[in-house]
Amino acid sequence: MAQTLVLDQFLSSLQELVEKRDGAKLQDFLQLEPPLSDIYQRMISELRQNYAPGSQADSKLLQRCEPLVPQSKGGSWTAFPTFIKLYLIFLRDMNTDNLLETYNQLKALLNQCVLALGDSQMGVVVLPTVLYLSKVLAKLAMGLDRRPDLIAHIRRMEGLADQDESTEKVTLVEKSANVVREAFIKCLTDRTGTPGPNGKPEGKRIGIYLMANLCLKLLFQCNKLRNAEQMFASISAQSPPLAHFPASQRVTYLYYLGRYLFANNLFFPARIALQAAYDQCHRQAISQRRLILSYLIPCNIILGRFPSQALLQRPEAQGLAERFQPLCRLIIRGDYLAFRQHLLFGSPTAEWFARKGILFALRNRCEILVWRSFARKVFMYGGSYGGPQAQAQRGPPPVLNLKKAVVAIRWLQTQHAQSGNGPANAMVAPNLYGSQVVSEPTDIDYARLEGADGRASPTTDQEILEKYGDYLAPDGFYTEEGRSQPNQPGLLIDGDPEEDYGDYELDPYAYDFDDTEADISLMHEIESIFASMIAQGLMGGYLLHREPRFAVPGAKIKGILPTGFPNVWHTISAREIHDASVPGWVQSRAPAAVGAAGGGRVVNLAGARPVGSQ
Amino acid sequence: MSNPTTQKADATEQAPPQAKPQVLEEDDEFEDFPVEDWPQEEAEQTTGSTANGGSEHLWEESWDDDDAAEDFSKQLQ
Repeated sequence: MAQTLVLDQFLSSLQELVEKRDGAKLQDFLQLEPPLSDIYQRMISELRQNYAPGSQADSKLLQRCEPLVPQSKGGSWTAFPTFIKLYLIFLRDMNTDNLLETYNQLKALLNQCVLALGDSQMGVVVLPTVLYLSKVLAKLAMGLDRRPDLIAHIRRMEGLADQDESTEKVTLVEKSANVVREAFIKCLTDRTGTPGPNGKPEGKRIGIYLMANLCLKLLFQCNKLRNAEQMFASISAQSPPLAHFPASQRVTYLYYLGRYLFANNLFFPARIALQAAYDQCHRQAISQRRLILSYLIPCNIILGRFPSQALLQRPEAQGLAERFQPLCRLIIRGDYLAFRQHLLFGSPTAEWFARKGILFALRNRCEILVWRSFARKVFMYGGSYGGPQAQAQRGPPPVLNLKKAVVAIRWLQTQHAQSGNGPANAMVAPNLYGSQVVSEPTDIDYARLEGADGRASPTTDQEILEKYGDYLAPDGFYTEEGRSQPNQPGLLIDGDPEEDYGDYELDPYAYDFDDTEADISLMHEIESIFASMIAQGLMGGYLLHREPRFAVPGAKIKGILPTGFPNVWHTISAREIHDASVPGWVQSRAPAAVGAAGGGRVVNLAGARPVGSQ
Repeated sequence: MSNPTTQKADATEQAPPQAKPQVLEEDDEFEDFPVEDWPQEEAEQTTGSTANGGSEHLWEESWDDDDAAEDFSKQLQ
């Protein structure tokens, strides 16, 4: 057997580092990303010469690694020698031509390292290594996620390409997130020192947010946000306050937490988390600040606050003004049709929002603000204020006849129908019913069923017959008497839908309206929208149904418009502010609360009555 | 006035995060910070004088449009 000078030296250095519990240096020794330096290359050739692949070699290698662990302290840290053995095998076998195999080996290596991390005495020594391996694994997984072509040929060779499609595919990124989450749990549940929400980041707990942030990055990458829920819950229950951790970890964590809350429609706490991330982010970290802003701004818009010029002129906001300002202007304008066109899925203006994952939130949450502006304008120009003496005396309250809103909507509809502006695929259809008149382009699967002239003609459309022939022209069918009857090949058993059923309208909305009915239907919709705004506190007043009107009583103090249309942000924040806590963000507790009975939980006894009293 | 902080800032600004203005391409990846920790002063904007207290007006809370929209009002007469 040839000499293994480098390996010998390497192992004895590792032994020394373990003895000194020098985790940082240990990580520095365990390099594995190419290009590796000369000394590693020499060790790799020693490994290949003396420990060529085979079960014998593996157990021999393990024997070499066993003395690394201090025997005196119980010597039960067996996970570590196994980990080093896997590390050496990884170096020996690394083949960058097969990145899928490299990925799997790296994942196994990290898994083993996480097992070593679990040791209550020694685990903390491998914490920097776990972090390093997690980062390398994440980088590889995300790289392969972006360039699936790099491993497509391997997948094909191994028959992985056409796996069962009925089960949800677990991507490499998600698999990596699952391993990293194990490491996160080991960090969070370290019992040394003072654990829990009153504790300090010591021992493995210093890794809580490093691991959490990496795991969140992967979960966001693979769109598996749901899997983050348990993480946030565990952090809320067990982590020391976030404020005890370094700024880089705080900012990164608050960014992901804010995005998670945003994705769950919890806009108010999301805003708090994102604003804190923005406020604490290094002012020179432009790209991070910009990413935070691109979620903080829509969050504020949904809550009724628009970005100021000063904010949009900051360097990190470059390019954001052209995304958000048109949206704000549309909300102010109150033209719901233009708003719907702007955020129509597939339109060029909506594309950026869709990519950021905020399109639907904006579309669904901001429309009510558009309607508020619309109602406010109609009220301004069409409301009756009862004359000056009515304001001074006890006259009837200012009132808006909702017929004015119908007129305004009809006018908007004709404006849009005439101008034909907006994206070509956002069609403002003739308004037979209500306000919903911006239609989505036809789904590609159904587009073929309608010809260019909008009339289906299956008799001539061979493609339709090929696809749906078994339904439209089956080999046989049952008559009304229940007898089975063979069918001539290619004969449409229900006839040509256009020719035979043209008199029947299949569109449930398109029954024969005359103008009055259409207006009544629209009026009902307007009443619903107004009622919804009143219920949400976006409008102050009440509705009268028989002669549909919106009345604004008690407007003498604040004025008519501020009473009828209170400030959106003030309304929403007054409603939400009672609970300023952000789920997933562990705050330092007020000293008074610490150590109170029930694990620091504060019990408010203000409303308690003496025993025996009724 | 703030010698200690300036020195500290110098130390960390050896490797400032994206010091040179880079082309802001649409990358959704939240990059690692090159610096582990920094004092709050380094997070705050320096634009404008310190007399401003750094509390720039970032959000518009009142945005209602009170200008007369002529064609709109004409419709509602």
